Amino acid sequence: MSNPTETDAAQERTAAPPTPPRPAEWWRSARRQWAAAAVLAAAACYAPFQLVPFHVFQLTMVLVYAVALLGLNLLVGHAGQISLGHGAFFAVGAYTAAILFDRWALPYPLTLPVAAGAAFLLGLAFGVPAMRLRGLYLALVTLAIAIFLVPLLKRFEELTGGSMGLTLAKPAPPAWSGLAEDQWLYFLTLVVAVAAFLLCVGLLRSRVGRALHAIRDNEGAAEVMGVRLSVHKTLAFAWSAMFAGTAGCLYTWVIGFVSPDSFTVNLSITLLAGLVVGGLGSLSGPVLGGLFVMFVPGIAQDINDAAPGVIFGLLIIAVMYVAPTGLAGLAGRLLRKIPRKE
Amino acid sequence: MTHLVVKDLTAGYGDARVLHGVGLTVGEGEICAILGPNGAGKTTLLRALSGMIRARGTVTLGGADLTGHPPDTLARQGVAHVPEGRGTFMPLTVEENLRLGAYVRRRGPELEADLDRIHGYFPVLKTRLKQAAGSLSGGEQQMLAIGRALMSRPRLLLLDEPSLGLAPLVTRELFRIVQAINAEERTTVVVVEQNAHLALGIAQQAHVLETGRIVLSGTAEEIRADEQVAQSYLGYRV
Repeated sequence: MSNPTETDAAQERTAAPPTPPRPAEWWRSARRQWAAAAVLAAAACYAPFQLVPFHVFQLTMVLVYAVALLGLNLLVGHAGQISLGHGAFFAVGAYTAAILFDRWALPYPLTLPVAAGAAFLLGLAFGVPAMRLRGLYLALVTLAIAIFLVPLLKRFEELTGGSMGLTLAKPAPPAWSGLAEDQWLYFLTLVVAVAAFLLCVGLLRSRVGRALHAIRDNEGAAEVMGVRLSVHKTLAFAWSAMFAGTAGCLYTWVIGFVSPDSFTVNLSITLLAGLVVGGLGSLSGPVLGGLFVMFVPGIAQDINDAAPGVIFGLLIIAVMYVAPTGLAGLAGRLLRKIPRKE
Repeated sequence: MTHLVVKDLTAGYGDARVLHGVGLTVGEGEICAILGPNGAGKTTLLRALSGMIRARGTVTLGGADLTGHPPDTLARQGVAHVPEGRGTFMPLTVEENLRLGAYVRRRGPELEADLDRIHGYFPVLKTRLKQAAGSLSGGEQQMLAIGRALMSRPRLLLLDEPSLGLAPLVTRELFRIVQAINAEERTTVVVVEQNAHLALGIAQQAHVLETGRIVLSGTAEEIRADEQVAQSYLGYRV
């Protein structure tokens, strides 16, 4: 038998590796990533001092949506499930924060973990039916969450303020920071968004991330590898809802007002559309999707006042036609066109 | 010493019964070939053994009862199934695929040693570690699928049609490696294969399955010598 034994293989490796792992290339690409991250971080910190408050607010909202899309991406892009109800998890986070503020005057930093936790638990609860359903059937069940939420919020007027909603004071910038309110809110959101992003990356690079990818790519094969489908599908829902709830809490901080009509089915669908347009399963997809969700409806309004919905729809179709793998995929394709230096 | 014992196994899909009381035993460290025409239930038998479909009857591995458990539990019990069509995770890299194979064992220092072990059997995988599994050739993907199964350090390796869609030379090489793995690690192997000649070449014993029943069992030599088998099930004279 000509099979090389383990020791042979080990010797071969130490003496002359058959294929060098090309550390130089790895280093170059890693360095490029760090450089890109540093430039982005610098730009993100510099921007609020250059823009007018309304634009700072818009940028803050992009980050809020990006956090929600990060969660949706985990579920749809990485675990291969679908949710047409993520607006509901977003709303639960927003309302949890608002009620804690309004009722118990909880300091605002404390509302974040509670809101995230509440959304996590709700996600866990809805992850249980998700274990058994897939594709269109799962889509329908998640759509139901989004549909029944609005009437429910209007019902418990005592707590939720009914259809009038709740108006709250926004977190005030501390004196030491010397920042204006919009800038303070921007940096708060930025810190949470970066933390959420890092948590998400860590999760995906771990054993859990590999399990989710395996479920997405081939459920049967994942199962015989020993991946517990039920556990991971349910947890994917819960994690995903947790990010949406976190985004909802940020929304409450930034807008200072929640009402049932801010969280209709439309929000859920816009989130999913934003993610697909941004780029499913990619790291930059949620941020690009956040930009899309924030700015494109406004652009549609500018193009034609009478039918912004039609223009918005056409823009989605246009983007998907030009970039079938989303804006992130398009960006990747353009970057590869740049000739590499040898 | 018998290792895998299957008794009166029935299984199917929905209302359709495919296996009607299959029984077989495989000794520890043996290779057992399952032969038979299309639709005989060969793939179904492997699926029932790895828990991918519900089955009735009893299956024991090294004395432990495996019947009726979900596939992830069986994977933890040491059953590794290489499904038909390989089931590699195409968008993931070769390395990620291999690491997924060790999913049931969590992280550990042995994991790196196991990667080396797999590279020993399949040197080509080592040169492709960062490549997407979908970009490999059919033969390399089959090697990856088997390597991935070995990462779980299985006590029972189930191979479903490893030759599917591969060139004859590649298939031969693959069977040689399977034999080497079996010889070195004493892993019990059950292999379903259309290429009876190759399968009988590495197996100690073989069973011929027809419409969900075992119609003939024996040592590889006996099955090979059986004229009737050659004509009716294998389609040629050996």
